[in-house]
This record gives sequence, C-alpha cells and structure tokens, in this order.
Amino acid sequence: MKKLKYILFTFYFLLFTFTLIAQQQRFPKPEFESGYEQPDTVTPEPRALALEYFDVLVLILVLSLATWFALKTRSRQGVLWLSVFTLIYFGFYRNGCICSIGAIQNVTLSFADPTYAISLTALLFFILPLAFTLFFGRTFCAGACPLGAIQDLVIIKPISLPKWLNKTLGLIPYLYISLAVLFAATGTDFIICRYDPFVGIFRMDAKFLMVVLGVSFLLMGMFVARPYCRFFCPYSVLLSWMSRFSKWHLTITPAACIQCKLCTNSCPFDAIDFPTNEKEVVKSGLGTKRFLAYAVLIPIWVAAGVFVGERSHTFLSKANPDVFLAELLISNPEIKNDPDNLDVQTFLASGKTMETLVQEAEVIRGKFYVGSMIAGGFMGLVIGMTLLNTVVFRKRQDYVPHKGNCLSCARCMDYCPVEK
Amino acid sequence: MTNNDKLKLAQNIAVISGIFCSVVALLLLLNYWQFAKNDPIESQALEVLVERLREDPNNDGLKTEIRQYDLLARKAYFNSQWQVKTGAFLLLFGAIVLALALRVYYALKDKIEEPDKVLENEIASRILAQKGIIIVGAVVFILAFAASFATVNYLDKYDWETASAEVISEPVDEGIEVIDVGQTRAEPVPAEQAAVETAGTEIQEQIADAGTKEVLEEPVPSAAPVALTLEQIRNNHNSFRGPLGQGIVYHKNIPTEWDGASGTNILWKSSIPKRGYNSPVIWGDKVFIAGADNQSREVYCYNRNNGNLLWTGKADNITGSPASPPRVTEDTGLSAPTVTTDGQRVFAIFATGDVIAFDMNGNRVWAKNLGVPDNHYGHSSSLITWGNKLLVQYDTNRSAKLIALNVATGETVWETNRDAKISWASPVLAQVDGKFQVVLTADPIVAGYDVQTGKELWSVECMMGEVGPSVAYSDGVVYAANEYATMVAIDIKTQEILWDDDMFLPEAASPLAHNGLLIVATSYGVMVCYDAKTGEEYWEHDVGRTLYSSPMYADGKLFMMDNDGVMRIYEFGKEMKLIAENELGEHAGTTPAFANGRIYIRGEEFLYCIGN
Repeated sequence: MKKLKYILFTFYFLLFTFTLIAQQQRFPKPEFESGYEQPDTVTPEPRALALEYFDVLVLILVLSLATWFALKTRSRQGVLWLSVFTLIYFGFYRNGCICSIGAIQNVTLSFADPTYAISLTALLFFILPLAFTLFFGRTFCAGACPLGAIQDLVIIKPISLPKWLNKTLGLIPYLYISLAVLFAATGTDFIICRYDPFVGIFRMDAKFLMVVLGVSFLLMGMFVARPYCRFFCPYSVLLSWMSRFSKWHLTITPAACIQCKLCTNSCPFDAIDFPTNEKEVVKSGLGTKRFLAYAVLIPIWVAAGVFVGERSHTFLSKANPDVFLAELLISNPEIKNDPDNLDVQTFLASGKTMETLVQEAEVIRGKFYVGSMIAGGFMGLVIGMTLLNTVVFRKRQDYVPHKGNCLSCARCMDYCPVEK
Repeated sequence: MTNNDKLKLAQNIAVISGIFCSVVALLLLLNYWQFAKNDPIESQALEVLVERLREDPNNDGLKTEIRQYDLLARKAYFNSQWQVKTGAFLLLFGAIVLALALRVYYALKDKIEEPDKVLENEIASRILAQKGIIIVGAVVFILAFAASFATVNYLDKYDWETASAEVISEPVDEGIEVIDVGQTRAEPVPAEQAAVETAGTEIQEQIADAGTKEVLEEPVPSAAPVALTLEQIRNNHNSFRGPLGQGIVYHKNIPTEWDGASGTNILWKSSIPKRGYNSPVIWGDKVFIAGADNQSREVYCYNRNNGNLLWTGKADNITGSPASPPRVTEDTGLSAPTVTTDGQRVFAIFATGDVIAFDMNGNRVWAKNLGVPDNHYGHSSSLITWGNKLLVQYDTNRSAKLIALNVATGETVWETNRDAKISWASPVLAQVDGKFQVVLTADPIVAGYDVQTGKELWSVECMMGEVGPSVAYSDGVVYAANEYATMVAIDIKTQEILWDDDMFLPEAASPLAHNGLLIVATSYGVMVCYDAKTGEEYWEHDVGRTLYSSPMYADGKLFMMDNDGVMRIYEFGKEMKLIAENELGEHAGTTPAFANGRIYIRGEEFLYCIGN
C-alpha cells in the first residue's frame, strides 16, 4: 500500500511538472512587409503608492490577528483560515511580491549602495514581522507568510525528523542568508527572489526548473512539514533570533503542564522541547570539558571561514553579470562576433570600452573579496556556536515549544487537555 | 452526518478531484504534444507556399492563400495558449480541492496517538548532531576551497598593454591618452566618387579633377600656439552660431534670394559623404563639417569657393574609443556637435567621446577619448575655442563638467565639475570687463566660467528639464530658455534675474540677442521677438514648420532656417517684416554659416554655397 502511495505521488509529480512546461510555448512575432512597426514593449507601471501602503496595513492586520489567534484565543482554526487569506492575498493576488523574505536584500543593498533608495514599504515589510516576533514569537510564520501558508496547507502526514538531522539541515538557512546578503550587497543578484520556489506558482508563469522545485517542495511538504521554512528560509534565521527573546511566546498549555505527553507528537516541525533528563546528562559526559573545547574551537572555525571565503571570492564573483561578461570577453574574444549573444551585443552597442568594463568588474571583485571573507567568517561562527549549543543543557521540567523553531501554528494547543 | 459519512464524503471528493486533476493534466499534455508536433510556424505547407511565392512574386492568389494559412496558424496558436492558461487554472483549482479533501480526510481519520513509550535518546541525538554539523561544515568549507582551485581569474589575464597598444600613447590624467600622429595624411577623395556626386545636376557644381587632390596648403602649426583675436573670428565663422557662439555675424552683402530647385543663386552644392546634424564653420577659404555612421567618424574640409572636397580626416584608432558606437536617437545621431577651428587646427567631437584635432591640411595633430558620454539621445554640445583652449561642455548622465584642452597637444588644461545634470546645449563666450568667460546652461544652473582657469564665476539656479538651446548674450545680459521650463534674462554681473517669461519657449533653437531685441524660435514653428531689456513682446510669426536651427543676425537682417529647408529672412526690428522665403530643396535643421556675400547651408545630403 505504501509503495503504491509513493508511485502515485511520483506519477502526479511528473504529470504536473511536464504539464506546466506547455506554458513555455512562444510564438515568434510576425514580420510585416507593409511598413507596420511593432509597438514598443511597455513596462507596467509600478503599484500605486497608496496601494503599497494598503499592503502594509494588511500585513499589520494579519500579523495582529495571527498573534491574537495564537496567544489570546489559542485557535488553530483561526490561524488556519488566516493563512488561507494570506495565501490568496499576498500569494496569488500580490503574486508573492513584496515579501518580507526578499526584503532582506533590499535592506542590504540600501546599506551597501548609497545610490539605492529602499522604499518605505520594503523597509516596513522587513521590520514589522521582526518586531512582532521580538514580542510574540513567530506568528508571522503562522499566518502572515504566503510561502509558509502554501506549505502548511499541504501538510498531510508529517513525519518527525531525528534531532541530529534537524540540527544539521538547520545550517542551510545560515548559508543561504550569507550568500543572499553577499550577492545583494555587491549588486549581483537577488537570489532569494530568483530562487523563490513558490512565486512561479503564485504567478502561474514559472520556468520549468522552478516549477519542478516548487512542486518538489510541496510534495515533500506532505510528509516533511514546511521544508522551505525550516531548512531554507533565510528570513527564518532573523526570526529565530528574535523569537528566542520574545516575551509573550505561545505556550502549549494554558495553565500548569500535567506531563500527560499527549502533545509530544503534535508538532509537525519538531519544535517541542522535552523535559531534561538530568541523570542522562550527567552520565553522558557532555559537560564542561566538551563545552570548553567547542568554545576554543569557535575562533578556529571563524578563521577557517574567513580563509575559505577569501579563497572562494573569485568563484563567487563570477555570478555577477559584469564580472561574467568581462571574463567571457577576455577568455573568448571571438564571442564579439556572435550576433546571438545578447549580453555581448548589448555591451558592444552601449559604447562602453573594454577597459571600463574590466575596471568595473575588478571593483566588484574587490567587494566580493571583503564580502566573501565576512560571509565565510559568519558561517564559521554559526558552525562553532551550533556545536557549542549541542553541549548546553537547559533545565526543563515541562513540554515547551522551542522559541527559536516554533512557528506558532497553534497545532499543539489542540492536543493539550488542560483548560484554564 | 456521522463521522463515517464525513470520511466517505472527503474520500469521494478527493478521488473525484484527483481524477479531475489527472484528466486536465493529461489534456494539457496532449495539447502540448499536439502543438509541438504541428507547430504552425514550422508548417511545411506554409514553407512550400512561401517558396512558391518566391518563384512567382506577383501571384496575388498565392499571397491571399498564404495570409489565410498564416491567420489560421496564429488562431491555432492563440487558441492553444488559451487552453493552456485555462487548463493551468483548472489544474490549480483541482489541486486545491484535492489538498483540502485530503486534509479533511486525514484530520477526521486522525486520532491523538499514544505517546511514544521510548522517546528519542537526547544525548545520543546530540552527539550525532555534533558529528553532522562538523561533517556538513567541513564539506561546505572544502567545497568552497576546492572551487577556488577550479576557478580561473580571467580579469588578471586582461592585457592592459595590448588593449592600449593600438596607438603609441602617453598617458595623461586618468587613463585618457593623447596621441601625436601629426604625420598622418588625410585621405584623397576618389575621383569617381566626386564624379558620381555631380552627375545629373544642372546647377553649377564643381567636379574634382580625377586623381588629383586640391589642397590649399597651409603651414603645419608649430607647437607654440598663437592665440585667436576677436578680429580674426569676426572675419570668419569659426564655431556653431558664428563668432563666440552668439549668433551675430559681421559679414556684409549677404544674399537674400535663392532657390534650390532652379539653382538660382546656388553657387555650388557638394555631396556630404556621411550624415550629421552639425553646422558648417568657415576659416579662410575652407568650410568644415563632420559626419558619422556606425562604421566611421569623419571631418570634411571643402574649398569654400568651388565646393571641392579637399580632405577627409578620419577619427579612428583613438585609445579608449568604444569598439562600436553608443546607441543614439535618429534625430541626434553620432555627429551632432559642430566642429570649431582656431585657424590653425580644426577640432571635432563625436557621440563616442572622441575628440580630434586636424591641421588645416587634414593632418591629424592629436586625438583622445573623453570617456563615452552616457547620453540617451547622443552627445550634441558643440565645441568652441578661445585663448588656446578647446572648450568642451561634457554634461552627461554620469557627471557634468567643462573641460579645457590645450589646442596644440590635447592635454587637459583644466577641468571643472559642474553641479548640473545632462544637457545638449553648447558653450557661448561672453566678454565681461575685458575678460572672457564661457557661459553654459543646463538643469538646474546657468553659469559662467573663467576661460583661463575654469573657475565658476557665477551661477543662477533657474533652469530645468532636458536643456537643448544654448544661451544668448548681449550687453551684459545672458538669456537662457528651455521648453517646458522658462526663459530668463540674467544680469551677468549681479546675477539678478531681470525678467522671466514662459509663453514661447524653444526646444532646440538657441535664442538670439542683439541691438535690444531678443529672438526666440519654438520647435512648433513660432518666431517671437521681445524687448531684450523688459521682456515685452514686439511681434510673433507662426511659420507652421518645425524650427530646430538657431536664428542668426547678419547684415541687419534675421535669418531663420526651418527643418524643411526654407529660410525666412526678416528685417531685424521691432516690427515683423518678412523679406524673403527661400527654399533649399531638401531638409535642413542645421544653422547656416556666413561669409562676405555668401551663406553656407548644410542640408541632409548636400552642402550648399549661396551667393549672388
């Protein structure tokens, strides 16, 4: 039976993805001999400022309602229907843009490039969820994020992942945010938006690979709940930091925990911490010695990260279109004669000299030199701190949500028999 | 409804929506395959028909058949597109229903599971996590490190020497190089070309002798330049809008009647090899213009008396010059700026940022590239020279500056950064208390600069928009105007705005101020005369034609060329009196040049000399 299930899922996966390739048909423009000229391509007008502010207002309302449902009314149904609204409004209606996750890049670029003016809307979309999380936990993830909502709605039979896998996969968002900030700061690319797996579904016009990625995440999400949120989302790094300090985070039980253990399997995200078994801890030997060893290792991890970052900056900088073009023209000068290479032809038509292009590429590479070392150092610090965290035991007597990882979805509350 | 009924309902909905999704998906696939198999554009039948039409191009029946077939193909395509789009939405709808039904089904089926008897061993899992983190961290670092070895740094391999070695050069300020290639000879004009150009014309055109190059030899200038005098430039027409760029001509006996079609008073007309919107300039017996296309950029010298093309100077092999010219608009082109001359050399600038100097015999003296101007229409500010300096207004989208180059060597004498935006206007010289200053207009400032030092002497924030018209200057007052902005009269000594007006504003034509009158020509075809002191309007004349050329004062008259090649001549006075309307016979938006008894006009195809 199980095998049949997997075969069915695989069949659907292939069917859906191949079906969506059909959307990539293109029909060449007709060539008129009568002198009729094709009208110029028109760039759509940006969204009216008033409507942008309306989006901010909607975000504030949704965040407030999500917080109210999770903390005050303790209603899973409320959170669920709110996430349906979020999916429709911020997902399908607003086409997944603007979103708080992508706003990381706008904020980064505004710091790195003084000529880039960040819009107030982008800034608010970045700050508001963090501010709410700082006080109430990750209620943004519960009901205000369209990416989270679409994954949440497809959770059918979640499986629990072992702790070591959760911890190890948890490094990916840090790596992702490092690269996203590096690429945004150097003006290279907004990779969070480019590789957003769900925006193509929201807009119904995704490229083939993005459809594959989006559908893969959704299929995986039926069993591994919200895989993008837990193991990829770069914004989750910041939200997790904020949430750890949240004063009014949701609780599983409204009163005192009666240790019934009914909630142990309730969280599809493995975000419930169990009571500490002190005897086991003492017996394990994961004590002061290992703590000190890992603490000493942190600077070494950081130094290794800086070194690796420095070494790999040339490789990373090749993602920048100017660097790529300059190197292409240096390594393959004949490409200038290729009329089909649009990048090269656009460069040639711009009148910019090769010297200028190379100089600009070198400036960008210089930025990567510094940026890659910072990103590498940050990754080293993350690895060192995560290791250290594995030997730190906090004394717990009850079943409590892990403040950093809990998505405030309110599922666990339904399992708790305690009433106020 | 019992729980079992609900379960059954959810199960049935899930099954139905699953089947629905499958059918829609299969139909979409079928549509895709069908389309891929019978791509209308790749239709063999259509190809055969097109091939037949090639053989029989006048077959109207065949043309109709092809059109009908093509229409059918397009209908099929758009129909298929509609099916794909509708199918995708149906699929999405089905998937949502399926997901909801499955959720409800599993929710109803779900029971709170009995807690696991044996929980995951926390200690063991932490130890495993440590291993996992170390392994993943190490793998990430090793991969990044390995990538550094697999990467070639091509930027380091860029050979700056080779790239710059097209000409032997000497670096001067920030990579701009001046090249001394004084021995390069100008290209002789092929006899056949001249013969072809003159064939068929009834008017008196001069034909160059086969194989001979008519050269009015002049000595090659020495390194120590001799400064221009006011008298010299008044006896010539050495820049855009004549002496000092003020639009006032000191020559006499200017003809007032001619006709291009019949050849009346057309002394000669010569073909111009490459197009350009720059205007002619004159020194002695020579007329200079420039032209360019995507292949090359050239300066032409004609014999002023007979129209023979004396030499062509090519602006090529200039260090820093782009491999292909920048994109410019059709109405600006690559050679909009007018050349200038100091009597020893002629200077030209192009939309590529190439500045070049030839001696009067066509030998290249120096050339340099100022950096390709970031200009969405194309660079159009003309050159002007004074005090052994070539003055370049270089207002681009990246920066705005005024550059003075040594006329003999091309070296930068001074460079002044301007607090202004891009502009298309040209520099005008003004004499104030015996000293010369160059006056520029752009968004947002009209400003004067010391010719000797480049220091900004004054600036008035009053202008806006994409400024095309240059300023007018007369009796200590600067007049600046631009369409959709304003027209202002500024006292050059006090910077007081004497008056301003926004009724008639020019888009391209520069205003003209002389003898207490101010003339403005709007692009929509209205000529207006104001009292220069008060701004009071004296007269207006709606000519109904586009006016891009700048009005010129000569011999007591006002000369105004429209874009259709008709020059209107007015009496220069407080009352509108049209003296003549003369047709050139071709389009001309440039500003004419004057000499004693002659007018030189650049049309689209020909350079004309008009005289009695």
